Amino acid sequence: MSITLSQLNTDEVLRYMGTPPEQADGALRQLVSDCSAQLLAAIQPRWTWKLCRIEPEPDGIRLDTGLLLSGRDLNAHLAGCDRAALFCATLGAQADTLIRQAQCSDLLRALALDCCAAAAAEQLCDRVELELQSQFPGCYFPYRFSPGYGDLPLQVQSDLLTLLDAPRRVGLHTGESHILFPRKSVTAILGVSDRPIQTHRRSCLGCPAHDGCQYRKSGGHCGIS
Amino acid sequence: MEFRELLRSPAPVLLDGGMGTMLQARGLKPGEYPELAALDHPDWLFDIHRAYVDAGARIISANTFGANREKLSRMGKTVAEVVSASVCVAREAADHRALVALDVGPIGQLLEPTGLLQFEQAVDIFKEVISAGVDAGVDLIFIETVADLQEARAALLAAKEVCSLPVMVTMTYEERGRTFLGHSPAAAALTLEGLGADAIGVNCSLGPREMPPLARELLKWSTLPIILKPNAGLPDPNGGGYDITAAQFASTLASMAELGVKLFGGCCGTTPEYIALLKQELSGRQVAPVERAVPAAVCSPTTVVPIDRVRVIGERINPTGKKLMKEALRRGDVDFMLSQALAQTQAGADILDVNVGLPEIDEGAMMVRTVKALQGITDAPLQIDSTDPAVLERALRVYCGKAIVNSVNGEGRTLSAILPIVKKYGASVVGLTLDENGIPKSAEARLAIAGRILDAALAHGIRKEDVYIDCLTLTASAEQECAAQTLQAVRMVKEQLGLKTVLGVSNISFGLPARSVVNQNFLTMAMVYGLDLPIINPNTDSMMAAVRSFHLLMNVDADARDFIAAYANATVSTAITTGSTAAAPAPTAARTLDEIVRAGLRGEAGPATRALLEGGADSMDIINTMLIPALDAVGAEFEAGRQFLPQLIQSAGAAQAAFEVLREHMSSAAADTDTDKNTIILATVKGDIHDIGKNIAKVLLENYGFAVIDLGKDVPPEAVVQAVREHGAGLVGLSALMTTTLKSMADTIALLHKENLPCKIMVGGAVLTEDYAKRIGADFYARDAKQGVDIARSVFGAS
Repeated sequence: MSITLSQLNTDEVLRYMGTPPEQADGALRQLVSDCSAQLLAAIQPRWTWKLCRIEPEPDGIRLDTGLLLSGRDLNAHLAGCDRAALFCATLGAQADTLIRQAQCSDLLRALALDCCAAAAAEQLCDRVELELQSQFPGCYFPYRFSPGYGDLPLQVQSDLLTLLDAPRRVGLHTGESHILFPRKSVTAILGVSDRPIQTHRRSCLGCPAHDGCQYRKSGGHCGIS
Repeated sequence: MEFRELLRSPAPVLLDGGMGTMLQARGLKPGEYPELAALDHPDWLFDIHRAYVDAGARIISANTFGANREKLSRMGKTVAEVVSASVCVAREAADHRALVALDVGPIGQLLEPTGLLQFEQAVDIFKEVISAGVDAGVDLIFIETVADLQEARAALLAAKEVCSLPVMVTMTYEERGRTFLGHSPAAAALTLEGLGADAIGVNCSLGPREMPPLARELLKWSTLPIILKPNAGLPDPNGGGYDITAAQFASTLASMAELGVKLFGGCCGTTPEYIALLKQELSGRQVAPVERAVPAAVCSPTTVVPIDRVRVIGERINPTGKKLMKEALRRGDVDFMLSQALAQTQAGADILDVNVGLPEIDEGAMMVRTVKALQGITDAPLQIDSTDPAVLERALRVYCGKAIVNSVNGEGRTLSAILPIVKKYGASVVGLTLDENGIPKSAEARLAIAGRILDAALAHGIRKEDVYIDCLTLTASAEQECAAQTLQAVRMVKEQLGLKTVLGVSNISFGLPARSVVNQNFLTMAMVYGLDLPIINPNTDSMMAAVRSFHLLMNVDADARDFIAAYANATVSTAITTGSTAAAPAPTAARTLDEIVRAGLRGEAGPATRALLEGGADSMDIINTMLIPALDAVGAEFEAGRQFLPQLIQSAGAAQAAFEVLREHMSSAAADTDTDKNTIILATVKGDIHDIGKNIAKVLLENYGFAVIDLGKDVPPEAVVQAVREHGAGLVGLSALMTTTLKSMADTIALLHKENLPCKIMVGGAVLTEDYAKRIGADFYARDAKQGVDIARSVFGAS
């Protein structure tokens, strides 16, 4: 099912830009709204997913394809789940091109577009998550967990993308440094359980960015709860 | 029958169908590598190939789709062993009843500019696969399922440089008729035919019903045989299958022989049953003999520009007479050229000329960097402008699309040096009507040289449509009688040789007053005489107005749509104020420069600075008493949390605009002292491409008068070391955004220490912390761009 994004949350984008929304003037809000419209008109969001049976092991989660997702944090996170929907989602290469273009003429616009794209990727994942949840009526889900969260290493990106056939299905790739290309893309694991599970809110404590978070460093918060 | 004989016969040619699904049906388990089927399950593979041969396939593809070193190294296998085993099974199964193609799929990593894999690395990876295939005895090469035209180019170029076997190339498109990266079938057709493919087409992606629009585009933009190898249909929304049956697949696809499609097969979901049905449907059919004539055109991967009307070539990326661009080239600052590119395309340029020749720089290396960077930000096709054949070749190699080479002339030496390069990379070429005897005065003599250039191009296999003639504009103030001869020559080349014409226009008015009037009129006259490709400054409104008016009046711009879109709200002044040499009066500055910078009003900063200079203010005074204090004030507000990143960037941008004016104003002697200034090297480390933060730091540091050498992103440690040495930099700033690339940052610092370079190192980036910065040996951690400036000031002991 294709997903179209039609609007971004300006306050969220402003927070990503390092500006408290209540302190943003009309011109800055207008810039964010222009960039948001430009970005949404240019991108082609794509996503794909695959359901796997999962088995907890001492040093990670074993998928039925044989792939081990290593680390204790994912293990704890998926407690009570016997399946997981693996997915990836991308805004496509056009988002990267727009940001590159803006960088050579107007840095503020580039920053605004970059932050709009971050917000759009987040929103795309929220939509994918809802779509996947609807495929499993009556089931329970912890929040989505991505490589880089806790001790689940980014090194697993390559295997995840292969498993999802992501290069061919949605044009999503990775390389030596395990960065996703196109840039504004996400891979994630959504646990599925038939029984109620203890769910956690996404918070700074469970957040992958930990001490490295730029918002926390400047005493703020990213706005994602 | 050999492949090229199959192509010559009027009958359709049958290819095979899917492999992955067939292997799964035989029992390949999830998580097992299909690439290794020839080693692990040769009997299954043999049966599948044989079933396709029995179904009637004349060409089968060996199971080598993913047999490149990037993928196989993860499985602990070598390319040679997998390719030779796979081809061996295919050849046994073919048993001389079918040809065996080496199947070459994508590498699995994205190339620049979207990804990090470099073009030459990709060529090298493909060469290894193709050499192994040639050694194993394949009959042809089949490059398929490629979504990036640049990757298709890399594979095709590798094939051409490794062997002389025929090459088929198919790409994969989405329903909107573009690849994932937005590349168009028209651009693929122009580019791949230019590079010497033997047949091109579409595979995977869609079902047969979605093929006709794609096939029509390919038929329109190439003369090559067309291949269609679609999936079994579109995915069925109600299940795991496809939306059409095997019989529908076969009849739909076979009907496309009537469009002129030559080669037919299947991709995902298709089986020997599909191929057998396709054979039945195709039996007795002939490929419709369609008239194929490809018009003159150039392209980038996303945009084809047919030369079917006046197309403007922007001339601004050229250092001749441009002080700021020369400085940018000496600093290796590509961003300057990127901003020039965007300004020109926004003004209406269709094609951009790229000239980076300066005696004291490595033109080839700079050209490659510039072409790559330009293709990352603009869809406009490029014209590669150099006198050095080696520079032209390096540029054409990395250029994705069909470029123009500027230029050859009637001298035998240039023709034989440059035309083979034009042919190899499938470019168009500009021929200047001059030779060893100089520029002839008469139109007839220029026509004669044009004729010789055309003959030479044809002899090298370059088609007539790809030769553009420049009849050369001479300066009217020096050789007044020549302007008419140039115009006459344009007409003769157009009418008698049937070639497209180019002219650099602005040279006409050199040494005259009111140059823009002369330029505009000469441009209009030249267009009437048949000029197709004016090389002009599109930022000059009157020049673009001449082109748009010409299209309007010649009924090219249907319903005057473009004209009205451009000028509906325009104010036009046609007055020429005779005798006025005074500059326009300085705008009355309502705000001081200090206020302008604090408020971040970029548009006002330049004029205000100019006004100050005209009022007799000293450049250094402006910097020290206005710009720096204003920036300091904004920085202090930012640090105190009363202003935020957007304001900091806006103020920095305003100050930057002021500095540009000051730099232009300073004498060249003063500008040269730049090299003695406190130099800082900035780089985003290897493997990382997040560079907005670094770019913000760059602008701010430049504002404070530091000489910044920006090495860009994905910069290897060795390049940082080399730049520190070369520029004698006292400070290095490194940025990284990912935990995985912090290792690169540590490596870079380690190498700088090992080489014992007397420079300080500051680091920044979202995942960094003060502690971590210390641990990897950095001297300073910069939380943000403002702190970076403070560090630089303390290191250099500056004000």
